Amino acid sequence: MTLKRNIPPKVWGVDRVEYIEPSRHRLTNGVELFVMNSGDQEVVKIDFSFKAGSWYGNSRLDSTMAASMLQEGTTKHKASEIANIFDFYGAQFSSASSYDNNYVSLLSLKKYLPQLLPMVSEIIREASFPEEEFEILRQKKKQRAIVDADRVGLIAQKSFLRNLFGEGHPYAPVASPEFYDTISLDGVKSHYNSFYLPGRMTITASGFVDTEVIQLIEDNFSASWGISNPLDNLNNHQLPIAEKTVFIEKEGANQNAVAIGKLFPTQNHPDYPGLKLLCTILGGYFGSRLMSNIREDKGYTYSIHASPISFLHNGVFLVFAEVKTDKTDATVNEIFREIQKLIGELISEEELIPIQNYMLGRILEDFDGPFARAHTFTSLRDVNMDFEYYNKLINTINTTTPVAIRELARKYLIPESMSTIIAGTR
Amino acid sequence: MIQFEKTTLPNGLRVIVHTDISTPFVAVNVCYNVGAKHEDPEKTGFAHLFEHLTFGGSKHVPDFDGPIQNAGGTNNAFTTNDITNYYITIPANNIETAFWLESDRMLGPKFTKKGLEVQRKVVIEEFRQRNLNKPYGDTWHLLRDLSYKVHPYRWPTIGLIPEHIEQATLEDVKDFFFHHYAPNNAVLVITGNIASDYAFRLAEKWFCDIPEREITNNIIFPEPLQTADREITVHRDVPIDTFYVSWHMGSRLDQDFYAADLLSDILSGGNSSRVEERLVKGQKLFSEADVFLSGENDPGLFVATGKINEGVDFEFARKAMIEEVQLTADSLITANELEKVQNKAEAEQVFNEIGYLEKAMQLAHYEILGDAGLINKQAEHYRNVTPEDIRRVASEILRTGNCNTLNYLSLKK
Repeated sequence: MTLKRNIPPKVWGVDRVEYIEPSRHRLTNGVELFVMNSGDQEVVKIDFSFKAGSWYGNSRLDSTMAASMLQEGTTKHKASEIANIFDFYGAQFSSASSYDNNYVSLLSLKKYLPQLLPMVSEIIREASFPEEEFEILRQKKKQRAIVDADRVGLIAQKSFLRNLFGEGHPYAPVASPEFYDTISLDGVKSHYNSFYLPGRMTITASGFVDTEVIQLIEDNFSASWGISNPLDNLNNHQLPIAEKTVFIEKEGANQNAVAIGKLFPTQNHPDYPGLKLLCTILGGYFGSRLMSNIREDKGYTYSIHASPISFLHNGVFLVFAEVKTDKTDATVNEIFREIQKLIGELISEEELIPIQNYMLGRILEDFDGPFARAHTFTSLRDVNMDFEYYNKLINTINTTTPVAIRELARKYLIPESMSTIIAGTR
Repeated sequence: MIQFEKTTLPNGLRVIVHTDISTPFVAVNVCYNVGAKHEDPEKTGFAHLFEHLTFGGSKHVPDFDGPIQNAGGTNNAFTTNDITNYYITIPANNIETAFWLESDRMLGPKFTKKGLEVQRKVVIEEFRQRNLNKPYGDTWHLLRDLSYKVHPYRWPTIGLIPEHIEQATLEDVKDFFFHHYAPNNAVLVITGNIASDYAFRLAEKWFCDIPEREITNNIIFPEPLQTADREITVHRDVPIDTFYVSWHMGSRLDQDFYAADLLSDILSGGNSSRVEERLVKGQKLFSEADVFLSGENDPGLFVATGKINEGVDFEFARKAMIEEVQLTADSLITANELEKVQNKAEAEQVFNEIGYLEKAMQLAHYEILGDAGLINKQAEHYRNVTPEDIRRVASEILRTGNCNTLNYLSLKK
């Protein structure tokens, strides 16, 4: 039988996504532990999540500096000793800060957890914030910020957020590298003392997590420490009226960065699954309308994306690209033309069906293996949501209609509501 | 330990299958033994431009992305100085779509004038975004050009200059395809939720009728032994002074590769490494510093770099870095240091064996090097390295006359 290459093989839709909820445990100090146990490699990932992100900082950068300082010394060990123990056992330790939550994470071979977990516990509970390490870190971060200040892409994205949230807002990135000169060690320490507490911590363990591992976690993290701090920042930030257009000059730029968007519903909003779909059509995958038009048809850019980005208290919609300088205006016009098309025209079945299948495939990926499942679970839990979100998303993907999609575009993508930020040369 | 099965089709295509039922996906990875090093020095950047073009469709496929998205999968590709690697990840029940697409790509892409025109522009924008419009973006252009005088590693995969990409013609494109894209110049790896006999049956069904082709790779002349140190200085619109120092080292298959790799880890792998402890934190010379291998298949580079802190003398800092590196050629590292980097190598090996796609890419890479089975021998090679090996390899790499220095200075100062 000869092969019929011009007939594509039959395609099956994703009929089932196996969520597999984590098993839930509670340590004696009340901390919740979620376990995603599977995988045949003896590898364990443990993620500690703290309600301690930049949202809670008294001064901006307190949260990010606190996260970076954790491994720079404890009451019992110097930074070099801490580094040496993780390196010696080939483990990957990280401590990072985000908008709402800060994270501490350990990836290790299971066999070394007895040596490593006491150190992780010490870092979380007894970080000592030595002055000398603080100054080194400050210098390092400032240097990095100075380099970043030369990149049009980052300039545009940061001013995009500042424009929507206002200069002092916890979600707005700081404007200049000099801001690093103003951070105080006391402020950073106080951020740590107030927020890295059992009452603000949850743990997710994934991979080869047997009863032995659970016991080790209990042994190392079930104590009480610190003085609990019930005060949370209320969402009482006054948002400014955003500028409609902002241009940031960067002399000699070889490309201009374009950021277009607005404030948007957060992930827990009933319209969010539909907006996720809408953004995918516009610029959420390789075959999207923006990619097809601006990259694949016109060649103005290497890549262009549109996405909803959700923090706990606010969300934004962002279209972003770095483009040929003399095609900046043309790109902006094409972006708005594509937005207008969503508002004015109905999507065809022919275009919609592959997008539905594509999105279902990505959902399947979100649950592929213990580490992906743990990540998916944690990112939902950190915004007070659960896997129910995926039921809604799958339902929306499967039952949406061209009219419903157009309605969402009409409600949320009004061109007059958008801000356009450009960084580069005129 | 990664279990896999391998067969070779009559047309020369090597097929490797590794079953991993922990995922609902399958990866189909096709690696062609062609990279930037096979390019004509007057037409650089071509292998990468060509990779872009193949997504524009092929003999029986109007476009590549649509069918994959419709089947719930994703696809991408990358080009290095050595290879061009295409991969599709797709829910296991739609596996046949991946075979249909990748076999048609090998059979013959569809080359159109419009496709070429657009992708030339896209690649030039990629060139701008990554190399011209980004601080330090031209580092590898400069460092490669300084370090290599003969071997084609002297240009990066994006190409020497945007003009080479602008000048590519449809004739060049077709020529390139028939000289390099062939079953007998490729490795097909299938990993994930698929039984091996089914995977082999599909490989036969979709790839068997693709004809073997005559491969005409340019002869790659090895880089002659460097006998005198080289140094250049450039001034750019960047905020911070930095330098790159490179030394020539052996190939990926050289037994000494493992000692060189561990040596770079001792110097800068992790926060407890020598450079991090002594120069970044101790003497506070750099905000960031790194010692690493360029990591190609043919003899590559051993590289040291540092971003110099405000107020620190450039010459002093660079000299301190070179002395730190040199120290490993003069005295033995400690047993504890060696055990540490060997443990790290072991753990990384295990971490890399978790994802089905990573496994597919690694199997393909080792097969291109000569034997997919190498994947299961790495841990042992790292374990066998001794402190004496490291000192010997360090003194060979760091010998006088083998060194290239790029001083990358800020115009702003």
